[in-house]
Amino acid sequence: MGTIELDALEVRLGGRTILNGLSGVLRGQAIGLLGPNGAGKSTLINTLLGFHRASSGTARIFGLDTYRDRAQIRSGIGYMPENDSFIGNMSGVRFVRFMAELAGLPSAEALERAHEALFYVGLGEVRYRKVNSYSLGMKQLIKLAQALAHGPRLLILDEPTNGLDPIARQRMIQLIQEIRKEGSVRLLISSHLLRDIDETCDEVLILKGGRIADLCNIEEERRSNRSFMELETVGATETFSVSIRGLGCECACFPGGRIKLVLPEHIEARDLYRIASEQKVQIRRMHVRRDSLEDIFLRAMDSEGERSAHVHL
Amino acid sequence: MNNLIVFENVSKFYGEVLGVNRVSLTIPPGITTLVGPNGSGKTTLMNLLTGLVQPSSGSISVMGLSSRDADKFFATVGYCTQFDFFPRGITGWQFLLDSLMLYGMSKATAIQLADEALQRVQLDKTAARRKIDGYSKGMRQKIRLAQAIAHRPRVLVLDEPLNGLDPLARSESMALFEELGRQGIHLIISSHILDEVDRISDRVVLITGGYLIAEGNIRQVRQEVREKPMQVLVRCDHPEALASKMFAMNHCVEARIHPDGKGIFLRTGDIDQFYSILNEIATEGIVKIEAVAPADDDANAIYQYLIGSEGGTL
Amino acid sequence: MSIYKHTYRAYTGKVTPIRARILAIARYGLAEAWSAKFTTVLFVICLVPLVGFLFTIYLSNNPAARLLMGNAGSRVLIIDGSFFLKVLTTQSWMAMALASWIAPRLITLDLVDNALPILLSHPISRFGYVLGKYVALFATLSTVTWVPCLLLFAYQGYISPVPWAASNVRIAFGMLTGAVIWIALISLLGLALSSWVKWRIVATGVIFAAILVPAGVGAIVTGVLRTRWGFLLNLPVMMSSLWDRLLGVQGHMDHLTQLPTAAIVTMLALTCCLSIVMLNARIRAREVVRG
Repeated sequence: MGTIELDALEVRLGGRTILNGLSGVLRGQAIGLLGPNGAGKSTLINTLLGFHRASSGTARIFGLDTYRDRAQIRSGIGYMPENDSFIGNMSGVRFVRFMAELAGLPSAEALERAHEALFYVGLGEVRYRKVNSYSLGMKQLIKLAQALAHGPRLLILDEPTNGLDPIARQRMIQLIQEIRKEGSVRLLISSHLLRDIDETCDEVLILKGGRIADLCNIEEERRSNRSFMELETVGATETFSVSIRGLGCECACFPGGRIKLVLPEHIEARDLYRIASEQKVQIRRMHVRRDSLEDIFLRAMDSEGERSAHVHL
Repeated sequence: MNNLIVFENVSKFYGEVLGVNRVSLTIPPGITTLVGPNGSGKTTLMNLLTGLVQPSSGSISVMGLSSRDADKFFATVGYCTQFDFFPRGITGWQFLLDSLMLYGMSKATAIQLADEALQRVQLDKTAARRKIDGYSKGMRQKIRLAQAIAHRPRVLVLDEPLNGLDPLARSESMALFEELGRQGIHLIISSHILDEVDRISDRVVLITGGYLIAEGNIRQVRQEVREKPMQVLVRCDHPEALASKMFAMNHCVEARIHPDGKGIFLRTGDIDQFYSILNEIATEGIVKIEAVAPADDDANAIYQYLIGSEGGTL
Repeated sequence: MSIYKHTYRAYTGKVTPIRARILAIARYGLAEAWSAKFTTVLFVICLVPLVGFLFTIYLSNNPAARLLMGNAGSRVLIIDGSFFLKVLTTQSWMAMALASWIAPRLITLDLVDNALPILLSHPISRFGYVLGKYVALFATLSTVTWVPCLLLFAYQGYISPVPWAASNVRIAFGMLTGAVIWIALISLLGLALSSWVKWRIVATGVIFAAILVPAGVGAIVTGVLRTRWGFLLNLPVMMSSLWDRLLGVQGHMDHLTQLPTAAIVTMLALTCCLSIVMLNARIRAREVVRG
């Protein structure tokens, strides 16, 4: 039984079909959700939370139907929405405690776990101030804290690093990785930032135009055999690439001395270096790339002949 | 064998504000130091220990006694607070005597114990007969300390007891603490001065944000901070030679030459192996070793590594 | 082990039933509502008339006082249905003022920062959420309406030299029913209107307006068209008639202009339905944009 199972899921809103026949089983510990704007990511998340009803087909979380069994599902879900969503007039502790009580925890336990969650995400004395006085980083953290406090089985994070400065972003990624390592919580992370998904997820669902453009396991992709090499050279790059081709490698030249090539079985890096020293070319950077998330994503966007404009690295 | 102070899953909340959360701790006799940033829950722990505050959940037992048997409990524990308030117009001697008589003893016994206490803290008898309002900060500290030890408690809780004392008084007080520790009394001292902590403590308890982070012997705690391998400074004439030998033995994770060129900081994952390898290298004689010192084996390092990193809180 | 790592840990304790969660919403809602000082002030003001009524009951049953007041006394100090009608009416208007202040604090504070997606992602349905808020408001309003009214009734029964309570039970039931109907209605209306307005002070004004403006329009309609049906828009007048009938008091309105009970009840039910529709539209986790 997978974490999320979709079976010809179709969701219509306001007269338009937003999700058009999604099918697949997501089994990963941390599942990434990618796609350009308008692809249906938010709608999918809202459907999984039971806010929208499927017009046909089903969506299941841990085997339970997302609309029919939504009360049961919701007690095991922690949701961190993308936009600001809180009760501004309450202190941080009170807000997290309130949410924990709504998730079904008795009052005293809710207070204890609220403090634990706040300690874990790193909100110290700030937790006693009213939430509407928080900075953006703190607001993100308090949303995460309230999602964790009741010990959910599935955490749904919508753009968790939205608006965070580099240090805060690093910290958020670290927290997510720790949660994943702990093992008792599955994660569903929706983001525009490929690097975030790359660092935290092991399975990726790519949506486009309301359909699934790709569903793949990044871990397996990383372990696969296809290897490309990227070089950055200084010197007579053209002649260098001609010589490499002569060895039997397929390669392509780019401006700035960059060369992308596919290494066949019998060629080693040592051979490249031999040619480089013969031709007085410096290899400044050498980098073996497995099929990265960026390639997978671009391929998925390309597959229907359109280019996505909203991909960040 | 009931000479332990036991905290069992103790939590204290003041309404919604956290004091301490789920602290489980066993304190044997000797000197234990509480270390942590301000507002971390140290004072709450001390108040819980002395019975001034009851836990919201969990239980505390001081050598088998709980703070509910008030009589016996309060006779066993002595508390020297960090707050500098005294009744007005009273002399030091009178203050001491009154505190003692509260334990229900006769005046003669009280006078004898008060005398003893003043001697131990090295406060002059004539000074004691002056009004506290006129005392210097050091003297006030001393009289507070005297009041805490006078009734011969088996547990002494001291909140920043060296605050405001001059160096001589500090070393005298520390000698007193060590003496008391040797007699089998439980001393729980809270302090920010980490090198003093190093010198006299047997055990250290680190607390931050209301949570217990680490406890135990300082060296033992340091060794358990695995993410930061131990660092040793070796002063010698050929630091590069020493470094390459260490690397050859597969023992170092990092080597950094001291700015003056005459020493080297070495980080190692296995401190015991390191020292035995160092023995062999020194015996060989190729490298002349002048000094060896652990560079981060102390409370300061533990504080930086454990609390400094947690202190990325907002 | 000397070092304690505080990592995430799963929750394995017991889970509370749904009614505890609804009560949690009520509790926290009340705490938010009462966190403003003005709420306490307003509440106290609502209870002030009761002091006057209490005193009146005391005087009326005190032979010495009646003697002093002589003729005027026998008119003013009679404790009967009309007296309790006055009590009920006054307290109900007080309740309206209180509701118009508290209802926005219950709902608008949640809506202003878009708390609904997070709130509704917990195992509490929209109905449960509204029910929790409703219970909080209803309970508060009860403490200024039927609870003190019944207490006054009990006091009168207790202090009266002649057995009074048993023969006047109708008054008690009338007050209870009348008050409950009124606060049930304005609680619902108050919550509904608050959910549509973004600023709390405006919401307070809107609630007043929602009751008084149609009343004014209704009065105009009645005056111009010379028909009694205009009063169907006039909530205060309708409630007065209802209270009159419940308490068995002779109405001070012209027989011609009196509305049939069925019509009044229908109008009240309609208002409730309208409120429910408004709440249904606004208490949603996600706005659905058409087209």
